[in-house]
Amino acid sequence: MMDTIGFGVVAGVSVVSALYVVRSANLIHAVLWLALTLLASAVLYAMLEAPFLAGVQVLTYVGGVVTLMIFGVMLTQRHDGTVAAASNVRNWAGVAAAIALCTLLFVAVGRSDLTTGTPPPATTTTEIGRSLLDEHLVAFEALSLLLLAAIVGAVVLARRKDHEAGDATVPTSPPSARRGAE
Amino acid sequence: MNVHVRSLVLAVVVVSTVLALTTFAIWFERKFAGRMQSRLGPTRVGPVGLLQPVADAFKLMQKESIRPANADWALFNLAPLLAAVCALGAAAVVPLAPGLAAADVDLGVLFVLAIGAVTVLPVFIAGWSSNNKFALLGGMRAIAQSISYEVPLLLAALVPIILSGSMNLSEIVRQQAEGHWIAVWPFFLGIPAFAIFLLAMLAESNRIPFDIPEAESELVAGVTTEYTGMKFALFYLAEYAHTLIASALGAALFLGGWDGPFGPGLHWLLLKTFVLFGSVYWVRWTLLRFRSDQLLRICWTWLVPAGVVLVMGAGAWVAWGPLP
Repeated sequence: MMDTIGFGVVAGVSVVSALYVVRSANLIHAVLWLALTLLASAVLYAMLEAPFLAGVQVLTYVGGVVTLMIFGVMLTQRHDGTVAAASNVRNWAGVAAAIALCTLLFVAVGRSDLTTGTPPPATTTTEIGRSLLDEHLVAFEALSLLLLAAIVGAVVLARRKDHEAGDATVPTSPPSARRGAE
Repeated sequence: MNVHVRSLVLAVVVVSTVLALTTFAIWFERKFAGRMQSRLGPTRVGPVGLLQPVADAFKLMQKESIRPANADWALFNLAPLLAAVCALGAAAVVPLAPGLAAADVDLGVLFVLAIGAVTVLPVFIAGWSSNNKFALLGGMRAIAQSISYEVPLLLAALVPIILSGSMNLSEIVRQQAEGHWIAVWPFFLGIPAFAIFLLAMLAESNRIPFDIPEAESELVAGVTTEYTGMKFALFYLAEYAHTLIASALGAALFLGGWDGPFGPGLHWLLLKTFVLFGSVYWVRWTLLRFRSDQLLRICWTWLVPAGVVLVMGAGAWVAWGPLP
């Protein structure tokens, strides 16, 4: 009973905040609503007895991704009284895509067997670690190689821009941030 | 139901204790700073000025609550509350005594780090919603600092996790009580990791020398520029509570928590917490504030590589080192 009420509240928060993410005209508001959505899904993970996933969700998404998004919005938008406006024009293609996705998810959830399930082990961290470095080792290492390549690429791009821009053009980031990034 | 009642009682007790200790900590800092500068500190209210924080609280309650005309009122009012909640949330998993923690969760360290990662959001919200350029600059600095210092914080916290093979704070403390404190043995891993953890925690709670988000000589009062009365008091409280809880976590992760000679217990945790807390203020009243580019450079060129080396060292120690 308590679980059902709790699930209802958390699911409601997650859906309503997700709606506000796409409804907000102000980009910062949208990002903050997104943080709430992500927190609500972390709570859902915790309720499904996947505490590790919940913790990592908060750590990476709310702490990392949302923070980076805010940083990006602040660096690219001016804040002189004008709001950082996001366009939310009604778009029939978007509606069609949303309906298609919803149908797909509905069918997929309907077809998967959610009734049976073994109770999760007491400490999932060990199991996750073992399966990542044993069963899925190749995929895991390929992923880290990809991320490393992305980081190196980002550094190369940032450096080239610095050299080409010279002193004449306005830097895209404040001097302190650029110096710190080097 | 019994479990729920127990959790509720512990939650109320822990939060009230942290708040009471925080008030005392404010008195302690003022006295400590006074002595360091050959002053007496507060002396007028109560014996040796002990009631000064109470007087401060009454003063702040009487102040008018001002909201700038163009501020984003919902976020402006939400930020102080969120700051206080984030700061107090981490207290839940601190192991207080053998077998006693408000919430004895298996992934306590992960929980603390997750809360720490969210802590920057209220600071940014406060800076952005004030619609004040100084507050906004403070918020931007807070975000840049938090993105950077989260990496060494995670790496430093991984060292005790790897060495004890558990993410449960109570379990980490228990293993230290049975064996060695992590800062004592292996000290060449424990002490540097402890230092990085403390530095990164200080950076996350925006204390000097890492308080560039509210650098008063450059940014008026940074993110708190537009806040008055109890809203400002909540930020103030959150900052002290965060430092206090960070000290308690450092004590639990590296200094054996409640363990000590002449019987383990809460008193040892409190003692270690206050020693760490005192050293934070020692640093605060000794050193100057870093420039923000210096701050980021220290993080990325020193702390992060050192953290990576320590994590690798901890892995090697567990794999090939002598048995504890």
